[in-house]
Amino acid sequence: MKTSTASPTRWRKAGGLCVAAGVLLVVLGLCSLFVGKYPLTLEGLISGEEMQIRVFWTLRFTRMLVGVLGGFALGASGFVYQTVFRNPLASPDVIGISSGASAGAAAGILFCSGTAAVTACAFGGAIAAVFAALALAALDRSGRGSTIVLAGIAVHALAQTALICLKLTADPERQLASIEYWIMGSLNGISLHSAALNMALCAVVLGVLFALHRQVILLSAREDEARMLGVPVGRLRLVVLLAATLTVSCVVSLTGLISFIGLLAPHAARLLTRSNRMGTMVLSGLLGGVLLCAADLLARSLAETELPVSIFTSLLGAPFLIWLVVRGRREL
Amino acid sequence: MKRLTTRVAALATALALTVSLAACNNVADSSQSSSVTVETEESSAAPATPEEPAQPAAVSYPLTLTDQAGRTVTIESEPQTIVSGYYISSSLLIALGRADRMVGIEAKADTRPIYSLSAPELLELPSVGSAKEFDLEGCAALEPDLVILPLKLESAADSLTELGIPVLLINPEDRTLLAETITLVGQATNAVEAADSLLAFTQEQQTRLETTLADADRPDVYLAGNSDLLSTAGSAMYQSDLIDLAGGRNVAEDITDTYWVDIDYEQLLAWDPDYIILASDASYTCDDVLNDANLADCTAVKNGNVYQMPGDAEAWDSPVPGGMLGAVWLSTVLHPDLCSADEANAVMGSFYENFYGFTYPLA
Amino acid sequence: MNHEPFFTVTGLTAGYSGPDILRGVEFSTAPGLVTGILGANGSGKTTLLKAVCGLLPHGGQSLLEGCALGSLPPRQLARRCAYIPQRSGIGIDISVLDVVLMGYNPHLGLLERPTAQMKETARRALALAGLAGREEENYQTLSEGQKQLCILARTLVSGAQLLLLDEPESALDFQLRYRMLHLLRRWVRQERRAVLAALHDPMLALSCCDRLLILEEGKTLAVLSPACDPLPELETALSAIYGPVSLTACVGRDGRRHLVMLSEEREEDEPWNL
Repeated sequence: MKTSTASPTRWRKAGGLCVAAGVLLVVLGLCSLFVGKYPLTLEGLISGEEMQIRVFWTLRFTRMLVGVLGGFALGASGFVYQTVFRNPLASPDVIGISSGASAGAAAGILFCSGTAAVTACAFGGAIAAVFAALALAALDRSGRGSTIVLAGIAVHALAQTALICLKLTADPERQLASIEYWIMGSLNGISLHSAALNMALCAVVLGVLFALHRQVILLSAREDEARMLGVPVGRLRLVVLLAATLTVSCVVSLTGLISFIGLLAPHAARLLTRSNRMGTMVLSGLLGGVLLCAADLLARSLAETELPVSIFTSLLGAPFLIWLVVRGRREL
Repeated sequence: MKRLTTRVAALATALALTVSLAACNNVADSSQSSSVTVETEESSAAPATPEEPAQPAAVSYPLTLTDQAGRTVTIESEPQTIVSGYYISSSLLIALGRADRMVGIEAKADTRPIYSLSAPELLELPSVGSAKEFDLEGCAALEPDLVILPLKLESAADSLTELGIPVLLINPEDRTLLAETITLVGQATNAVEAADSLLAFTQEQQTRLETTLADADRPDVYLAGNSDLLSTAGSAMYQSDLIDLAGGRNVAEDITDTYWVDIDYEQLLAWDPDYIILASDASYTCDDVLNDANLADCTAVKNGNVYQMPGDAEAWDSPVPGGMLGAVWLSTVLHPDLCSADEANAVMGSFYENFYGFTYPLA
Repeated sequence: MNHEPFFTVTGLTAGYSGPDILRGVEFSTAPGLVTGILGANGSGKTTLLKAVCGLLPHGGQSLLEGCALGSLPPRQLARRCAYIPQRSGIGIDISVLDVVLMGYNPHLGLLERPTAQMKETARRALALAGLAGREEENYQTLSEGQKQLCILARTLVSGAQLLLLDEPESALDFQLRYRMLHLLRRWVRQERRAVLAALHDPMLALSCCDRLLILEEGKTLAVLSPACDPLPELETALSAIYGPVSLTACVGRDGRRHLVMLSEEREEDEPWNL
């Protein structure tokens, strides 16, 4: 006990950081509920004004929920991707989620109608891309981790090609524009009933991912080593990646592409805690939520019209990451 | 110990998320079911749906309509506040005499001269955004009785409907659909009479052109798009219809795309049109085309037959209510012997005088 | 010393994509023995270790107390057999204690977490490996040698009976090399256990291993007992790997007999022709 003086301080730091990020997330979530063009007031809500309550539940609450939970999911699953792929640059894009979702959404915009259908198609596209990548990787019996990345790149390229073909057939005035706007990503105009199912699924699968945290860490060891620690590497990696993919797909199919959170949040969490414990995974989720909520607040209030949220996730995230890296260098 | 606390914290977070999710689930379910029941009650209680155009001018509310997306829309009472998220419906509302009821307008309204000419007060209205980012909250904050949106904003329409705001989706892609749009908006805003006279005007001009030009030669016309000389409209498009009505033959009639297509110079030279007509908002000028070395041998260029469709009031090559004037103007270009410019000016003048209240041609 | 079959390897063949590197390795060892594997570079030491625990597709069999290791599912295999690669592939920031606790994985359910008692044992294992008090340090800040010791501690807690090590001494300095091998000797004698270690340093092997397996071109050249085999026999077998050598027995201050290996200068039969 007496020797482990380094540990409690560091651990308290991770706990404290989680609490701080959590408080910040709650504050941003509350802001998110009460910032917007519609003059929503607490009095109006309490007095039960019908329109106020409808706006609150249909627009604001959904938006807050997707911002908080969606950001949390992107951050936490980013942590999982980077750990499992043993690659600090890994993100959902590596195994083709984003391009699969884009191609799916484009197909939905072209061949179906209605938001729910587009969401379903984007979700299907993302899952199909990941299954294709994992199936391709399974063809290589050696089970090397790099095979998945290569298969992902192949699927990514194929999905991009499909997207280009779909764009070519699209009517530039309406459909092509819709595809482009979908890809830009936004939390605007997500209706509660289309979000509810996605968000519930997302929360459940996130729970599974957190429960599997110890296994995720084991997967960060080299393949032979993990196998000799009793880890059924191939199967476990499949399960963990599918779970992470599922959460990201749930979010991305609702919002369109949101850049950078999955990459930045885990890095920031690691740089802050310098560990990979459960606390760090929670922290990367919380930071993801904070980043998405803050970006969305700016996206909806900075200009007359809505702006794509990815602009702000990158604008807020990039300097923060650089600051963390520079600060870390100075400490070392 | 410390690890335990974080574990508890993580668990609590997960729990909180699940609980809030469960809560939102219930809300979603209840709101959905309640809106469904309300809808059925209303549609069964609604009086006869005014489907036949022979109906008297007066419209009775609550009114149930089927919009151009095939949605059933119920309007409780005559809309006193209207948001239009599409320049065609905004222009149409002016023509129907309902501009004074508009409380919100599409983005970039200041780029359309028809508003400043006919209803400058519209330029003061708050913008509800464009097709890329429709401002749901801003629209809801205006508390409109009716919102009219283009078909491409179907998702925004769904959200607004959930908020209890009736939304009419319109899709005036060709002359028939435009006529349908005019009728639909006329009914929804209790302006059936104005809608009928608008339709009658269009029909009258159509008949006039058809009779006058029945036996005329049909010169080859190439319609150049807004963005580029080498983009053109195939036979499936509204613009091709205009050429037909004006007594021309669209050289691109074999193209069946529903949107502007890009061609190359060789194709244009092979078509060798007698006339090249530039779209109203073309980003290049007639001189550019006349001086284009690649087109020096083209009949239209050799004869100086390159014209731009006027756009000083509205872009007549788009399906706006006054779009028929595009055909009226083009007929004077293609057939000056049969259709005099004076007559055309008189038609345009009376159209804008009657429906938009300003003098045309502009001073 | 008893010679009942505890761990037996028969007809082991294995390779990567090209021709087989192992071409029928055979040997067996009794419980409580440390077996060193000696061989020139490319003779198949690492391949042998990987084939024994089924990390490489292989022909032939490895039987541990009658149980074929190659056919076991990962968890069962990990409970019986532990493997320490030349370098551990852990590349993330993680505490030393957490690395050791990974060793309990084959005994934990998918969602279970290590108990307090496991943590206590892990601390003791770290102390045995000479890393007392460094439990909460970042594994990445350890030197390569300390990482090896940490991985060794992880192996000690895993409860495996067969321990496979791939050149464990490569990153260790003189003192730690001997410390590690002595630790392995103590560990292996406690229960029915066996250690199979590919070694780079023949002196270390001669002084710390009970048996030496000499590999040449993927085959067992000889199995030696440095403590009792006559010196000429040992010399002949070792010369196959190291060229002409001579062995000398000497007695240290502790009274134990040690073998010292010297390289015989080769006659300079070829002219210096640079």
